[in-house]
Amino acid sequence: MIRFWEKRIKTGMVTEHPEFDVEMAEIRQQIKGEVKKKFAGSLAIRMVDSGSCNACEAECNALSNPYYDLERLGIHFVASPRHADVMLLSGVLTFNMYHHVMDAWEQIPEPKWIVTLGDCPAMQAPFQTTFAIKGPAAEHLPVAHHIPGCPPSPEQIIQGFLEFLRKI
Amino acid sequence: MRLIARYAKDLGEAFEVVTVYDEMTETVRLGKDEPVIGTIATKHPTAIWFERKMRDDFGIRIDGAFDNRPLVHQERFPKDIHPMRKDFTETVVDFADYTPYKYEAIGGDGVFEMAVGPIHAGIIEPGHFHFSQAGEDILHQEVLHFYKYRAIEKMVEEMTLEEAKPIIERISGNESVAYQIAWRDITAQAAGIELPEPIKKRHALLLELERVIHHLTDLGFIPNDAGFGAALAFCSKLAEEARRKMAELTGHRFGFGAVTFETSPIDTEAMKKWLDYLENEIAWFTDWIIDIPSLWDRFDTTGRLLPQKALKYDCVGVVARASGIAVDRRLNPFYIDHGFKMATQTNGDVGARFKVRLEEVRNSIVMMRNFLDVEPVSVDLPTPNEGSYTAYAESSLGELFMAIDIKEGKIERFFVRDPSFVNWQALHLMMPGNIIADFPLINKSCDLSYAGNDL
Repeated sequence: MIRFWEKRIKTGMVTEHPEFDVEMAEIRQQIKGEVKKKFAGSLAIRMVDSGSCNACEAECNALSNPYYDLERLGIHFVASPRHADVMLLSGVLTFNMYHHVMDAWEQIPEPKWIVTLGDCPAMQAPFQTTFAIKGPAAEHLPVAHHIPGCPPSPEQIIQGFLEFLRKI
Repeated sequence: MRLIARYAKDLGEAFEVVTVYDEMTETVRLGKDEPVIGTIATKHPTAIWFERKMRDDFGIRIDGAFDNRPLVHQERFPKDIHPMRKDFTETVVDFADYTPYKYEAIGGDGVFEMAVGPIHAGIIEPGHFHFSQAGEDILHQEVLHFYKYRAIEKMVEEMTLEEAKPIIERISGNESVAYQIAWRDITAQAAGIELPEPIKKRHALLLELERVIHHLTDLGFIPNDAGFGAALAFCSKLAEEARRKMAELTGHRFGFGAVTFETSPIDTEAMKKWLDYLENEIAWFTDWIIDIPSLWDRFDTTGRLLPQKALKYDCVGVVARASGIAVDRRLNPFYIDHGFKMATQTNGDVGARFKVRLEEVRNSIVMMRNFLDVEPVSVDLPTPNEGSYTAYAESSLGELFMAIDIKEGKIERFFVRDPSFVNWQALHLMMPGNIIADFPLINKSCDLSYAGNDL
């Protein structure tokens, strides 16, 4: 245990990007009235992978590593669509996932938004359309915001969330 | 003999079924009127998924098969379509009526079924696990996948090797470099060239870095699933640093587009310094984690895969090596000369898989140091010759097998067997005797790919 605390103190705090905190504070200032009430100061995200290569998921997991520590911005991933404000959709929308994605979307209580993550859901990744892919997610769901990249880096994902918050 | 893969090809006038073992390859031609082939699942249980997939893809009937359920084609997929046949050219398939899938389930007084997925509670890929439970105890589990089925095999047909590359490197993000190396070997074979040593070294360096990133992530997530979050904080920090190294070396955090036929300069000194740092951190981590009894109480004897079962199910990768099966594609003179040492354990439990990963990270650091000095070279590729080519790579998950047929400069048939395709089929063997709460831990200790499996 002593070894652990020694290491902990020596390592110190590694979390980067204080500019996000500043920007977030600005955005918090900007988001007034209704939306602020709806989110109650925190944004709950349900991530759904509809056919990605797992790189987008790896980058979302990286968001909780000590360098990014996303939760300090009041944005957190939740286990059930019923707890979510936003569905974050990654990967190409496959034939086999189509109905499950629709189910998850239906389960999110209003008001709700869809943010697509990475080039796949917009069919902008190198994958061609096949019979097993149902095409751009925006043709089937009301996509509110898109975060491009293959995969978007953790910084780009945070940036994307901020852009989304500004937009709504 | 170890079964590596079994897959079919449409040759136009006939089908061909290729069965690849570690010692030999068997090819059988089938007439197209009523294609039938005998099952080999009685000897090699993991042939089941290969054969079910073959039936979905080509409509080849499997004689003597005891499992005739569809695999890739789920509940709403039309029954009479076999998309890997050459005469199938549709790009849109409409949903058919819902036909329920008949799960393997155990019945009995007080026994109940529990369905998990395809969408799981965390940030994780989709797949379905179907449990038969007696209270907390798992009696049986069936894995149902292919939710991410993108029809990659069909997608890359008629493309050149160069055109298919961006797709192949995105099949499974965690194993991108391994997929690219398999592609590289096939491309070199088709062009009839021998790869110069510096290129092999650079790619081997990237492959070991990819392994380190993946293993570090798991070394954090496995303890986290046993309620020990501090390990995740520690290892995810190291994994992030390793991923930034990958971006430094290749311009991409996952190494997409990294495998090319030329080498680029590496800041050797900075890399050596980082490797020394990583080695120290891992030594500290090992010392710390080995000494936490409550954690090992969860790890030891949990999710055991006995050596004889691992052998029977032709397992590969970390899963096989943790059960005492010494199978690793890096067991060759090139890797041994650069410091490769096979890491194995015999217990076959979560703890054994954790220790194999830890050992492999240490070994990868040693090898990376030896792969650092790379002279600048560039290779020109002649146009590819027609033929059938195969390649192997040892990804962070295990042995990857790729086969590509080239005809008139284009891909005629693309087949790849992710290590996960075999190991998923052995997952249920680890379940009996464990409680449902340990399932996430067991699953994470194997850390198999869904995307690579589903294609």
